[in-house]
Amino acid sequence: MITRILLLLLILLMGPQGFAAESYLDVTAPTSGKMKLAIAPTTALSGTVAGDARELPELFGFDLGIAGPFEIAPTEAGGTLLLKSAYGVQGDTAILECRLVDQVLNREVIAKRYSGRLKDLRRMGHAFSDEVLRVLTGEKGPFTGKIAYVSKASGNKEIFIMDYDGRNPQRLTNNGSINLYPDFAPSGKEIIYTSYKKGNPDLYRRELFTGQEARVSARSGLNAMGVFSQDGNKIALVLSKDGNSEIYQMSRDGKELVRLTNNHAIDVSPAWSPDGSRIAFVSDRLGKPQLFVMDANGGNLRRLTTNGAYNVTPRWSPKGNRIVYARKEGGFQIYAINPDGTGDTQLTKVGSNEHPRYSPDGRFIVFSSTRDGGEGLYLMRADGSGQTRISPDRAQNTHPTWSVNW
Amino acid sequence: MRKNIAGCLVVLCMGALVAGGCAKKDMVKPEEAAPSVTAPAPETAKPAQEAPTQKAPVTEQTPVREPVVAQEPVRESSKAPSGDLQGQLQKIYFNFDSSDLSEESRNILTKNAEYLSRQQSLKIRIEGNCDERGSDDYNMALGERRAKAAKDYLVNLGISSERISIISYGEEKPVDAGHDEAAWAKNRRDEFVVAK
Repeated sequence: MITRILLLLLILLMGPQGFAAESYLDVTAPTSGKMKLAIAPTTALSGTVAGDARELPELFGFDLGIAGPFEIAPTEAGGTLLLKSAYGVQGDTAILECRLVDQVLNREVIAKRYSGRLKDLRRMGHAFSDEVLRVLTGEKGPFTGKIAYVSKASGNKEIFIMDYDGRNPQRLTNNGSINLYPDFAPSGKEIIYTSYKKGNPDLYRRELFTGQEARVSARSGLNAMGVFSQDGNKIALVLSKDGNSEIYQMSRDGKELVRLTNNHAIDVSPAWSPDGSRIAFVSDRLGKPQLFVMDANGGNLRRLTTNGAYNVTPRWSPKGNRIVYARKEGGFQIYAINPDGTGDTQLTKVGSNEHPRYSPDGRFIVFSSTRDGGEGLYLMRADGSGQTRISPDRAQNTHPTWSVNW
Repeated sequence: MRKNIAGCLVVLCMGALVAGGCAKKDMVKPEEAAPSVTAPAPETAKPAQEAPTQKAPVTEQTPVREPVVAQEPVRESSKAPSGDLQGQLQKIYFNFDSSDLSEESRNILTKNAEYLSRQQSLKIRIEGNCDERGSDDYNMALGERRAKAAKDYLVNLGISSERISIISYGEEKPVDAGHDEAAWAKNRRDEFVVAK
């Protein structure tokens, strides 16, 4: 194994950029063949290390530990790889230099220098974690993405946003009503959500950087569970303007409405396939809520789940090969299934677990769980391993959704 | 604070673009970017990845416009005009994952219809609600189905559909915050709220 790693590291070091994408770590089976990674204390570029920078080794350990390919070594000498960081301040600018060193070959694998505002230090650290995964697995990490979620921290349900690891929670909405179902645009720069702030549950689209907002669907009844297609041009959602809940798609400004389901049953929770060709959703047309898949024009309908009496909230993986969902069996547990109905696999067992969604790179699933009392936010690898609490506080936090890297 | 957040968001975004743009050029090249472990690393030998930026002043000037609508109160059941009028309209309750009207519910709806027949000027809003156990997505539709079941029944009894609006709160407005069957039974309900 060591020989293989060394050989491949040599290829990485010597070869052109293309070789980096030839991953020698299997991203889809992150728990096998872990590399030992040691993380050195952050040193000072000049003077002493400021308080925030002392948290960096813990940040790297959390990011790269949860990532899957690495086992974090307890001592510097114990790592095949050693991650080193040095921090300094020049005026208002923070500087962070990060290196990943192969201790066997005594060679640097990655060297990066980041600069920015003092308060962006953690973001710089996450950016290096993203980069470590890019170089070593061929696919960038998602750690500079944000997670939007629904929180009752202020008493009622408002939309919040936080770093993926639960740091830096910020309230986005402040209207005192009920705010639900946040979904990021593929750009990561906008969210859509449903709010009762004008009485009816209407769909709003909000630009995160300016706070500017448009009410994109205010039809009679539900305007709920909106989700952007992968190209950002369409929104699938639930409307009940025709008397009962049906799945529709429309343009991102709420026009060009197309009805996709048409029956007396409940149809909710649409989820796009990443190529935009299909939509998974929940319907109780056969008696109890089950997952169905249809073409994005409403045709070619077929039932997806046959196990379990109550299956809900499907979300397609970014690579299109899995659909994660929640099954009610007493409380809820999270399962994943292939889009053809094979490979149905249980991922959670402790507490009641709902609202699963993949990270943009597909490595992780975020979800809400009652396992520690109350409802909090958690993440796990796509295979169910590494389940970790990320909730920023003890408030009821649900419906997490992970943006692309900012 | 909100302004700062927005500023930060913009800056980070710009930073990400810059960083992304640089990343391709930043691939590790042994001859220039991998000095020996012991050697002091000269600044010029390191690939520069500009993450956040000094462009902050631009973004700091961008005010966050909190929409006016966000300040409007939600129509609450408690804001119904008259306790007396409201008191004549009784709630009905449902079984788990059901919008079927029980005999008791039908009797209550009949009384509600009689009252509405006497108070011809009254308009009502039927609010459908669920307990916490189901999927909250699914319950949003189930609550609406419960409200619609009651509306259809009242319309069948001769109440004009023009006088009845419906809304679902799913499992978002429990009357009992408990986590047992007694609480759940109270929460699976339709409320009949006098509209203005």
